[in-house]
Amino acid sequence: MGYFESPEKFEEVIVGFFNAMATSEMAPKLLKSGLVIRFNYTDPDLVVVVDCSGDQIDVRPHDTESKSQVEMSMSADVAHKFWFGKVNLTKALTRKEMVAKGPIPKVLKLLPAIKPAYAMYPQYLDSNGYEQYNILKSA
Amino acid sequence: MGGYAGTILYVDLGSKRITRQTLDIGFAREHMGGMGFGAKIYFDLIKDNPQVDPLSPENPFVLMTGPLTGVKMDGVARWSVGSRSPLTGFWGDSNGGGFFGARLKFAGYDGIVITGKADAPVFIHIENDDVEIRDAASYWGLDTYDTNDRMIADFKPAGKRGGQVLCIGPAGEQKIRYAALLNNKRHAAGRAGLGAVWGAKNLKAIYVNGNKPIVVAEPEKLKELKQELKGVYEESIFIDALRASGTPAHIDVGVLAGDVPMKNWQMSQWDDIDDIGPAAIEEKIHAGHKTCYGCSVACKKDAEVKTGPYKMARGPAPEYETVATFGSMCLNSDIESIARANEICNRAGMDTITCGSTIAFAIDCFENGLINESDTDGIQLTWGNAEAIVAMTEKIARNEGFGALLAKGSAQAAAKIGGNSGDLLSTVKGMEAPMHDPRSAHGYALAYGVSPRGACHEASLNFNVESGAMLIPEIDALYADYEEQSSDGRAGLNMASQDYGMFFSNCAIFCNLGATPLNATQAVSMVNYVTGFDYTLEEVMDIGRRLWYLKRGLTNLFGARSADDQLPKRLLAELDDGPTEGSVPDMERMLREFYALRGIDEDGIPGKDILEKIGLSDLAARLHR
Repeated sequence: MGYFESPEKFEEVIVGFFNAMATSEMAPKLLKSGLVIRFNYTDPDLVVVVDCSGDQIDVRPHDTESKSQVEMSMSADVAHKFWFGKVNLTKALTRKEMVAKGPIPKVLKLLPAIKPAYAMYPQYLDSNGYEQYNILKSA
Repeated sequence: MGGYAGTILYVDLGSKRITRQTLDIGFAREHMGGMGFGAKIYFDLIKDNPQVDPLSPENPFVLMTGPLTGVKMDGVARWSVGSRSPLTGFWGDSNGGGFFGARLKFAGYDGIVITGKADAPVFIHIENDDVEIRDAASYWGLDTYDTNDRMIADFKPAGKRGGQVLCIGPAGEQKIRYAALLNNKRHAAGRAGLGAVWGAKNLKAIYVNGNKPIVVAEPEKLKELKQELKGVYEESIFIDALRASGTPAHIDVGVLAGDVPMKNWQMSQWDDIDDIGPAAIEEKIHAGHKTCYGCSVACKKDAEVKTGPYKMARGPAPEYETVATFGSMCLNSDIESIARANEICNRAGMDTITCGSTIAFAIDCFENGLINESDTDGIQLTWGNAEAIVAMTEKIARNEGFGALLAKGSAQAAAKIGGNSGDLLSTVKGMEAPMHDPRSAHGYALAYGVSPRGACHEASLNFNVESGAMLIPEIDALYADYEEQSSDGRAGLNMASQDYGMFFSNCAIFCNLGATPLNATQAVSMVNYVTGFDYTLEEVMDIGRRLWYLKRGLTNLFGARSADDQLPKRLLAELDDGPTEGSVPDMERMLREFYALRGIDEDGIPGKDILEKIGLSDLAARLHR
């Protein structure tokens, strides 16, 4: 059993979080990348496109049509743990728990931009009625 | 026998006698190459009188290539050096990349054993079969960049390719305890201060040129393997990152895990870290890509600072370790000043890890009131003071004033400074720890503790495996998915990392960066296809294990005991925030488990039985008189 009891709940949480990031202090740096990133999640399955190519970040769940420069594939549980800073990124990539396709140097440049997200994610969960998914509290 | 050049050169600088020893196929098979050869030869030379002063003529120096060096494959250009370390007093070895190792093989030599001391400065001139000890008076005093350029200009045959130079700079000449050896201005055997051994021997450089081919035993199989590896490398994000940003790519990833030490190991988060990260490097100092012989990874970078106080011409850029020691460790967010400090170290020929860490230690002492401006020649050694950091680097390179104290390394400086300065050290066995925080991965703590040469992340493959960059499916302990920030299973992980690591990066001398994507099957196959041997994984693990015990035994012969395996307080202090908040390696437990697995007694000495069982009876007899 994964962290999320249903595909709908996972979508609600992760898409809500991306939208929160889109209006946070991180947005200018993400927009500077100009990247269109497709997240391919499994268990449960979900595709989310995060489009940083315009003036504002556009988060589009179920968008399987848009062209993306970067594709990140991982399970929903790995994604969830990642936003807590609980995934060893190097190990996850080596073991193919996360698979990244596209211009890797550009992807790596996003890492400094998303650092504040690690502190933001548990706060986001707590303040939006998703406390039960906060693994820091249950630990 | 493929791969090998077939001859080991013996040069005695005292008698000026040069001899050649044909490489015995049985010896090659048993020890493979690199420090497999070097540590064995060194031990045989000193075993009856091991108390050699590191800076005396009696301390031999070994320089070895591996069976793959000079073969056109990714990540195999390396050569290694070994001797008793002037920094630690224990066994010291180091390896470097570049072009020197390949050219030495092309000249016909697998390695050089250097003994004695010359009456006056000399260099060794090698042109295929012609080997001479020559007067180095005109090069003595030159920095490594000028020595390199001048020697190549002086000896390059008209219309033909010039040779390769391995040299020391003024730091080695002055026997600074962390002097390095540099090839081509950037490829350093930096750790353990072996450049000072050359300085003490009055040996400035080795110039080598040669054009003999290296025979590959099974070229078609090697070609197939190369094709297979092409796909592996194309898929590797680790290699992609190295190609794009070199080793500083680690800053962005490492900081997420709390791996990047800050403020002399007191922090793991810092608002200014991105100012010295890969993006800042690319924007402010990046000037091009460089590589080693035969390697397509090209992880070496050039830097240039066009204007300002740290102006420097295009040249070698700082590696990750240098960015961290002179940057985050000192809370210095000025990447141009870091590039300049790197240039000072390279030109003088100094290890940037020890130099930068020693300056961070001195800043810590200054900020804690243990030293003041009257001690530091008027320099305000405060956190983040880029100007002061560069100025002190220059003073160290000149072995001048307070810099002369820091030129002895932080452990000896602490002994002089006194007070509680010892609590601010990052050393194990007298060597400053590299820029990977054991609180982020507990196995690093054990790796630093039991490394024969002192705190080091390259003395085994523990760092590569525990960080997640390397995956060896054929060896259970190197494939297991260890719990993060836990000390569970780290003794076994370290032992396997040492045995495999001694084979991988000490004997075959694969590059710990450029050869990271290889699994064990591919690595062993490459050695077999080049040499024509039929090593199994079990056999190369045995070779690696024996070398680990030999290096451990040498360090024991030089006086190390279990107390020398302990970590300094700074690396085990609990941090109250950041990615490693509350994480402290259980060093006592890991050491206890490791000693039991390795058959090491409570004094830190490997047992007689285990040494005899693995073919080190000579060592056993000397450690257990």
